Amino acid sequence: MSVLVILEQQGGVWHKMSWEALAAGVELARGLGRPVAAAVAGADLDSLAAELAGYRVERVLSVDHPLLAEYSPDGFTAALGQMIRARQPFLVVLPHTYQVREFAPKLAASLDRALVPDVVGCRVEGGEAVFVRQLFQGKMNADVAVAGEPPYFVSVQAGAFRADRLERGSAPAPVEKPAIALEAAEIRTRPLERFQEAKRTVDLAAAEIIVAVGRGIKEPENIPLAEKLAQALGGELGASRPICDNGWLPMERQIGSSGQTVSPKLYVAVGISGAIQHLVGMKGSRTVVAINKDANAPIFEVADYGIVGNLFEVVPALTEEVLKARG
Amino acid sequence: MEREVLETDVLIVGAGPAGLACAIRLAELTKNPDGITVIEKGREVGAHLLSGAVMDPRGIRELFPSEPIPALDTPVGREGVYFFTRGGQWKFPVEPPPLRNHGNYVVSLNRLARWLNERLEALGVQVFTGTAAMECLMEGGRVAGVRTDDKGRDREGKAKANFQPGADIRAKVTIFAEGVRGSVAKQLIARQRLDAESNPATYAVGVKEIWEIRPGRLDPGTVYHTMGYPLASDQYGGGWIYGLPGNLVSLGLVAGLDYRDPRFDPHNAFQQYKLHPFVRGILEGGKLIKYGAKAVPEGGWFAMPRLWSDGALLAGDTGGFLNGLRLKGIHLAIKSGMLAAETAREALEARDFSAARLARFGDKVNASWIREELWKVRNGHQAFEHGLWPAFFHLGAQMLTGGRGVRDRYPSEAGHARLLRLAELPAEEPVKIAADGKLTFDKVTDVYHSSTHHEEDQPTHLVIADTDICNTRCAAEYGNPCRFFCPAAVYEMEETRAGRRLKLNPSNCVHCKTCDIMDPYQIITWVAPEGGGGPSYEGM
Amino acid sequence: MRIVVCLKQVPSRDSLLRIDESQQWVRETDLSWEINEPDTFALEEGLRLKEKHGGEVVVVAAGPARAASAIREALAKGADRGLHVEDDALGRLDSFTVARALAAAIRTEPFDLVLTGLQSDDLGYGQTGVILAELLGVPHATIIMEVAKTDGGIKVKRELEAGWFQYVEMPLPALLSIQSGINKVRYATLMGIKKAKSKELKRFTPAELGVGLEPRQKIRRVYVPQKSKRTQLIEGLAKEAAAKLVEKLRFEARVL
Repeated sequence: MSVLVILEQQGGVWHKMSWEALAAGVELARGLGRPVAAAVAGADLDSLAAELAGYRVERVLSVDHPLLAEYSPDGFTAALGQMIRARQPFLVVLPHTYQVREFAPKLAASLDRALVPDVVGCRVEGGEAVFVRQLFQGKMNADVAVAGEPPYFVSVQAGAFRADRLERGSAPAPVEKPAIALEAAEIRTRPLERFQEAKRTVDLAAAEIIVAVGRGIKEPENIPLAEKLAQALGGELGASRPICDNGWLPMERQIGSSGQTVSPKLYVAVGISGAIQHLVGMKGSRTVVAINKDANAPIFEVADYGIVGNLFEVVPALTEEVLKARG
Repeated sequence: MEREVLETDVLIVGAGPAGLACAIRLAELTKNPDGITVIEKGREVGAHLLSGAVMDPRGIRELFPSEPIPALDTPVGREGVYFFTRGGQWKFPVEPPPLRNHGNYVVSLNRLARWLNERLEALGVQVFTGTAAMECLMEGGRVAGVRTDDKGRDREGKAKANFQPGADIRAKVTIFAEGVRGSVAKQLIARQRLDAESNPATYAVGVKEIWEIRPGRLDPGTVYHTMGYPLASDQYGGGWIYGLPGNLVSLGLVAGLDYRDPRFDPHNAFQQYKLHPFVRGILEGGKLIKYGAKAVPEGGWFAMPRLWSDGALLAGDTGGFLNGLRLKGIHLAIKSGMLAAETAREALEARDFSAARLARFGDKVNASWIREELWKVRNGHQAFEHGLWPAFFHLGAQMLTGGRGVRDRYPSEAGHARLLRLAELPAEEPVKIAADGKLTFDKVTDVYHSSTHHEEDQPTHLVIADTDICNTRCAAEYGNPCRFFCPAAVYEMEETRAGRRLKLNPSNCVHCKTCDIMDPYQIITWVAPEGGGGPSYEGM
Repeated sequence: MRIVVCLKQVPSRDSLLRIDESQQWVRETDLSWEINEPDTFALEEGLRLKEKHGGEVVVVAAGPARAASAIREALAKGADRGLHVEDDALGRLDSFTVARALAAAIRTEPFDLVLTGLQSDDLGYGQTGVILAELLGVPHATIIMEVAKTDGGIKVKRELEAGWFQYVEMPLPALLSIQSGINKVRYATLMGIKKAKSKELKRFTPAELGVGLEPRQKIRRVYVPQKSKRTQLIEGLAKEAAAKLVEKLRFEARVL
């Protein structure tokens, strides 16, 4: 009974969180002493399946069916459910994407199982998998264990596992195409065209990289400095309360107890002192960088990296270095 | 959206001990819960209530003569009154009589109110929480109810998508139990000149914390009161330390809002208090759980306004029902609420809500133990006019003469009027300490521990008549004391390109009313923010 | 339209939480409670749909006795009736178990549309709605920004990642998880608060509904996350420090 990782693709393009889920699966499999398998659902998956087979997995399961060309909760639940019933994995690992949030709980429930969602860590204790989840918007963590019979289901949070350590296999893993029985009538929702829209609202809670400005920025005219850094990093701009109070940035960019709670993989605090009201909004950040001229600013206590210096010099320099590194 | 209009017999503004006791008594007397409306600006009953507190059970036992009262679970045990010097203390060999607490109970006012609310709901009366009274509805000079707060206005005052205008609650009798320095009562007192014959009201501010301490460090029911350090000898006030069950301790500092030096910072003084070896010894190894601050009406009997007007009564702290020497007001608030209920009920039966009829409230107060108690300490606060040591002399004299002392009807002065200008003071600033993050904290961190929350996008609720005065005159004359006396870092002065400017952080406000009381020019008017906002004083 | 809105009562957002002696939950004494904020957007959406298309809004909550006040709050804002699955354990059980309790209560009546919030601010599982859809046997969609009634059912706007959106059509009955912040939640009027007292609130115990409460997940321990790494202060002039930092972010933290 293996650890089965279900990766996500959309129109032939992998969702990058898929690789993090695979890394998590590999780690769990090692800890549990079980083999790891990878699966993907959709239509016309041959080349994607072949790509997956290049990694060090025991097998690849290609859940391939024309009715899965466009994602739907009913279709994915039915197809993956059949595959799981047939293969009986020990543990199913998924990336916690928007799509997974929509179908994975249904998939688990259809098999009378519960899903442990959005885990930030996992370990094996006494042969049992223990998952770490955040509670109360990151104020606390909980160690969660699953009850009942396998298969167990878990989804992993963005950035919680590092995909760069994935090993390639010495030979391509076997690719299997489980038989899937699916009728059009089973799919009750009709998805229409996807489209992009100028986002009217900022969703900091979903951002993976955030550059946040505080009072140290001194004047609204200086904000573009931080904005450029955010752009260079491919992230969003956030702010502490005083900045939004002054109207220098809209309130949706406010991070803290009276604003958004965020958990990006990288948080750069520019000129932010680190008042507790702000800290509770970004405690869930994976890596925190603080730039402040005051060495005693409380922000440094939660930062992984800190530069005590003049942000008006450091931030432009940082932007330049980031652009260089990104080529 | 149209403005709601509600009709009721008796409207009670404020669900503190006075308001709740009033509602309970009234429901028992009239047996008509539908005729009673109680409004409360806090999100829940108790959210804005804090007190030390050691309560005299007299009031609550009268309200509930035949039931067990859960709040009375921690009787006062060991007591002590201390005089603190900077590094040490000496204990009063005998507790001064007003501070003797045998027979009293250490309580949480927040929890008491929540229990009173349950009893009130059992009688069929529901409190409308998150509803603030903004102004009186007047009908030809008579109070005809109140108008409540608008909801859903943005920072510029414009209506948001969920805008809802305040409701008009029309009542035959309106009982103001808004707590200390009630904002609508303040308007009424001014309009009807209810304080024409009273001494100027004087106040203190209490800064309080609850800590979880090492087990066994302080027994529940232990009651310590302290005088002296960190307050100067010419300052009114003192500290308290009360042992609570569950390894908790309530402690705080009360500082009279009639100090001389405008640079004095009550919050900072409290931080210094915690570093005194006696206090530190109790707190060390512990954890801050909750913070809060509130003003206290200290003026006593002669500073109480006239408590009735056409269609209105004043009860609780709003009416000044507090014994400053005993540091007790809850029992008086409860009793005043009960008497107000009896007065209102009689008015309903007589169908007469005029000032003449409602003046019976004054008669009832005079005939009750409220007067008995407050009369004896009527010159108490004034005794401290010239500092701690002369006060002992005066208080001694007052004790021997049933409260008369050397000067009956000892006048008082509004606290803010006693502030000296910077030019009149030595250049040396009062000692201030920096927060260490373990025993002492800065105001912003403390505000976080008060669980204060306000809708961010709303108009500023601190109305300042002329901010030019703040930026120029006050800066020069008094050095902008708002920055210091506000225990919640609401007021800041920043250097902008246009010069020194007042900057407000209204969402930090813990509704203590200190600014309304203490600003030297009396240009700050505290107005209730959108209902539901403010601190959340669970367990306080 | 018969609309069911699921609510959860959670500790107030500004509550200062302390871990209890068992280390498996937080101390509940002295906490104040509120309707889970994401659920308020679902409630508001439900009330707007009722105002537009007629019908009624029924709110359902699973939780201890205190959860009734959350239901009353929703009734005060305009919901018509309430259902309360009452049990002390329900306040902190996992989504699957709670969804089973909710489903059993919802099944006692016919419905057209079930609305839930995206996730709860306490446990944050974010799945109760989706599981509910499976248990009730209805189609569903999540992270919904807009709901419109059509002849065949409803057409909804789903939010995808990175600024993408999608419209989806489905027949009724259906279930939707509503995205937070899509509307401005209304205040209760005083009349609404008054009327809420007399609106119907049906109580069920899990036993009455034939639902067992054996959890599928167990919280072993709750703790405050400790920062395991120490702060690395990067020295040097601006350009130097910036270069060093980028290197660390690339190769050590691996976030670039």
